[in-house]
Amino acid sequence: MKYLIQSSESSVWLDAEYVQGKFWIHFNGKTFCFEEEKQKSGRGKKSESAHASDLVAPMPGKVTKILASINEQIKKGDPVLVMEAMKMEYTLKAGAPGEIVKVNCQVGDQVFIGQILVELRPLDASSGGEPRG
Amino acid sequence: MTSQSSTQRIHRLAIANRGEVAVRIIRACEELDIETVLLHSEVDVNSRAYRMANKKICIGPAPTAESYLNIRANINGAIASGAQAIHPGFGFLSENANFAQACRDEGIIFVGPSPESIRQLGDKVSCKALAKSLGLPLVPGYEGEDQSLSKLLSEAEKIGFPAIVKAAAGGGGRGMKVLRNIEEAKELIESAQREALSAFGSSKVFLEKYLDRAKHIEFQIFGDVTGKVFHLLDRECSVQRRHQKIIEEATSPSLTLELRRKMAEASCLIAEAARYQGAGTVEFLFQDDEFFLLEVNTRLQVEHPVTEMVMGVDLVKAQILTAQGEGVFGHWASKNQIRQPHGHSIECRIYAENPFLGGVPSTGKLGTVHWPEGPGRRFEYGFESGDEITAYYDPMIAKVIVWDETRLRAIKKMKKVLSESIVFGVHTNIPYLQEILSHTEFVNGKMTTRFIDKYFSEPIASQLPNESEEKIIREARSLVKASGLGRGKSLELDSPFTKSWRGV
Repeated sequence: MKYLIQSSESSVWLDAEYVQGKFWIHFNGKTFCFEEEKQKSGRGKKSESAHASDLVAPMPGKVTKILASINEQIKKGDPVLVMEAMKMEYTLKAGAPGEIVKVNCQVGDQVFIGQILVELRPLDASSGGEPRG
Repeated sequence: MTSQSSTQRIHRLAIANRGEVAVRIIRACEELDIETVLLHSEVDVNSRAYRMANKKICIGPAPTAESYLNIRANINGAIASGAQAIHPGFGFLSENANFAQACRDEGIIFVGPSPESIRQLGDKVSCKALAKSLGLPLVPGYEGEDQSLSKLLSEAEKIGFPAIVKAAAGGGGRGMKVLRNIEEAKELIESAQREALSAFGSSKVFLEKYLDRAKHIEFQIFGDVTGKVFHLLDRECSVQRRHQKIIEEATSPSLTLELRRKMAEASCLIAEAARYQGAGTVEFLFQDDEFFLLEVNTRLQVEHPVTEMVMGVDLVKAQILTAQGEGVFGHWASKNQIRQPHGHSIECRIYAENPFLGGVPSTGKLGTVHWPEGPGRRFEYGFESGDEITAYYDPMIAKVIVWDETRLRAIKKMKKVLSESIVFGVHTNIPYLQEILSHTEFVNGKMTTRFIDKYFSEPIASQLPNESEEKIIREARSLVKASGLGRGKSLELDSPFTKSWRGV
């Protein structure tokens, strides 16, 4: 839908719309997208409870390979899990060194965006390990 | 394909594809007075092609193996609809010789080359063998039958790193990985095999030396019913990410007349040797004024519109006419002259992905979609407002094509067109495309296939609104809410706020 916003200095025609709980707006050649302030979807909650070190599905898709197992210690950048979506493979890598404490998915699982796939206890080399909060 | 001497008028044609290419084929059929039948999966009922086709037949559930890649389901659908011909589009079954064969066995015209041509050229290994026998230059590599991991690893070492692993039955960048060293090679080869199996039904891969500053240049070829193969000059598609093309243009800004002539000759030579009929593409890598034949795509190419724009042809109609046994482009042969491209054309592929998160797929229901029409602008799209972009299929949701008299003007026009294009509901790569189009190396036409790796491997920075933009956004938000269009509520026409906004 088109809207005209007028002020004393200028007027701007813009396109704006809510689509499935998000606010989309296009003007001056740019598109912006905003989540609603009050997150009430289950998806949002799940993401919030994830620890920074956990591996979270960045997109909906299928788990095609799990490359690490429980109690395994991994380095930053190690491939942990392979997902497929839209016919392309994506490898999820560890963002920090850590120990795998839980694997929440199996090969073949369809997972949703924001789902915690692998839980990782961070191992911080310099400070000698950071307990999870 | 019909025999060369007879013509068979097609009255009804089935489309074994989806999205924007299905729409493209429907348009061509409409102009040729041919009825269309869309062979679609269960989830693709909310799409533009579904709304446009004369008939629709559901051939199976969403997963491609059960619908768009299922040969039997497509053939049965076509027969049930009474279609005389099937157009496979690109991707899916378009380069599948067994599908072309199945069509022939059932007496259905396959709009494309013969199963024999597809087998010979489409299988990258036998294509290389043919090229070798014709004396055409090839990238060194391994394409043996021994597909064991140990053999592939030792061959990769022999070729030397960087090397590249590719799906033998592949295309479109799937099942393709660059191997930088032996340590990474094992994991990447296995991953390529899995992708190849998932996307093409065969895990067979081959290896090649990776040329690290090459350009991707390809020639559009067309075999007509007389057995003569024409070329329609070249396209450059060096802007690729994970071997998937993002921006293509016609013609390449990098070729001299002499090189263009040699590559065109090589393209026609290999296609004629395989008795090629219909539209096809011969792909080359081009580095240090040397060219190497990469592969032949035995189908219509995603980027065919840029050739159409500068050559003044309609490749999809030409495909269908050829399938009917009619001559096309014949008048060129008699003139026997070098065809000159008219101006310059650029295509940008619009992917449903989040450019601020490194291009992860973005799925969901489309809100407003607006493509800004104008002279020298062309939009190929398969989904409109209200349609759903799902995770089952390719993330390409549209193509934006521009034409202008020079390359620089075409770039400028593309930037303008993209800035006015609106897609709500899913994120798109438009901000990413804008940055690429502004990059000096692209503007100067010097980009190689490493361009994206070199300059755009990181997610681009989020666009945050500045202060005055913030203000506008706040106002717009309250306007939209007041209008009753927030949070899925329907428009209330008697709202006291309706006067403050204008619907278009």
